[in-house]
Amino acid sequence: MPDAILSQLIGAAKQAGFNYAFINDGYESGIWAEGLLTTLEIAGLTIPISLLVGVLLSAAITSRRNWLALPARSFIELTRNTPTLIQLYCAFLVLNMLISNALQGAEHNPLTPFAWVVGVLALHIGAFHAEAFRAGIEAVPGVTTEAALSLGFSQRAIFWRITLPLAFRFSLPSLVNNLVNLLKLTTLGSAIAVGEVTYASIMIWTQHDNVLELMILLLLFFSALAYGLARAGHWLENRLRIPGYDVG
Amino acid sequence: MTSARLTLRLAPGRGWNWAALSGAIALAVIAVALLPAPPLLSTLLRWLPHLAQGFAMNVLISVLAVGLGTLGGIVLGGLELSPFAAIRRPTHWFVQTFRNAPLLVMVYFSSYIFPFEISIQHHYVAFPDWLKATLGLALPASAYVAEIVRGAVRSISTAQWQSAKALGFRRIQTLRWVILPQCVKRALPPWMNLYATITMGTTLASLVGVADLLNAANNASAAVHSTNFTIVVYLSILVWFFLYCYAISAVTKALERKYAFH
Repeated sequence: MPDAILSQLIGAAKQAGFNYAFINDGYESGIWAEGLLTTLEIAGLTIPISLLVGVLLSAAITSRRNWLALPARSFIELTRNTPTLIQLYCAFLVLNMLISNALQGAEHNPLTPFAWVVGVLALHIGAFHAEAFRAGIEAVPGVTTEAALSLGFSQRAIFWRITLPLAFRFSLPSLVNNLVNLLKLTTLGSAIAVGEVTYASIMIWTQHDNVLELMILLLLFFSALAYGLARAGHWLENRLRIPGYDVG
Repeated sequence: MTSARLTLRLAPGRGWNWAALSGAIALAVIAVALLPAPPLLSTLLRWLPHLAQGFAMNVLISVLAVGLGTLGGIVLGGLELSPFAAIRRPTHWFVQTFRNAPLLVMVYFSSYIFPFEISIQHHYVAFPDWLKATLGLALPASAYVAEIVRGAVRSISTAQWQSAKALGFRRIQTLRWVILPQCVKRALPPWMNLYATITMGTTLASLVGVADLLNAANNASAAVHSTNFTIVVYLSILVWFFLYCYAISAVTKALERKYAFH
């Protein structure tokens, strides 16, 4: 029954001049579905890793130890002010090549293009998260941490149990914004032949010359994902709201 | 000593410049350390004109894309502020869709959808790849600018309109002499951030065959075919973009501080 409806929809689209015939082709729809899944996989893996990177970097840049703060700050500035594609090339073409050479041959290198995309995007977005966390950390009132100090909390316990939970709430809107950017950046995987949804779309439209049709699907897909993330962010914001600690 | 460190931490503006400078120096040191032999440096210098030509393409695309995007975005932003829902709603959806569109998808889209030449009364005019990429970047740029414009106008309180009216300004005069000057100040820093973002996005054009800096680096790396040179050339273009974009972001931060309202 759903197949019949789908066929009818494809027929109606054809009447309107849109070629969505690939959806009925088991092989090509398979490629596209796999592409969708790969994009979701990249995003699903990168989101938690980038948040972890962001927390660690923000801890480093707000640290009192200069040997920790300066390299972290330099890394963040470098990441924020260089194109992500060049970062990906530096990682995949340069670092990956060095690793392959060190392991005597690419066949011994366990790092796949997929792993490089996840790694580079996690570090890249992690740097943006760190800035958001830093702003959040600075918004935590000094008296709160001083109170914790007087109660005998260690510096580490204060960061993880007092500062970070409050900072997370303050920085949530920026974090969601960064995650939407992360979603968009997953398309860079296509540059190093990771079969995510853009790559799959290119494979289909080079066969059928239906660029516009696939573009509409891609825009709908990314809009839906961004919308979903924004809604999740709003939900979390409301859920975590502490009366008297609203910002803006 | 302690107080000096404290200032460094608490005054982000100064601390950032310092740290970024140290980062740039560290990178330069890495780059030099990776030059084990003088021939490598001379090879890089030989490729420098080719790389510079590529970078000129990045600058051209970014300036054109942001220019077109700004014109389009001002119109879209104005439509988004329209009192008529029939105009406001579709504009809003348009802006949201293209704000959420990945830049790479837009670059691919424009490079496949436009013909390689246009015929104007039997004269064929080439439609170069770089222009297609520019249009692909200009479309999302216009959506970003629309949001910046809308945000800037919204941030001006209605009391300003009312007081201007009380002082005898007409609506168009209020807009020209009271509202817009304040909008420009508020929109300038985010607009410059957008310029930096689009500049970094121009490297995506290399994926559709535009001869930009990244493309030039790929050419150089393939032609020289040496591990050490590949490392040097990719790190060099990373530093190249960093210097350009960091300068923009430093000016943006300075403007933000200058125009900050309390």
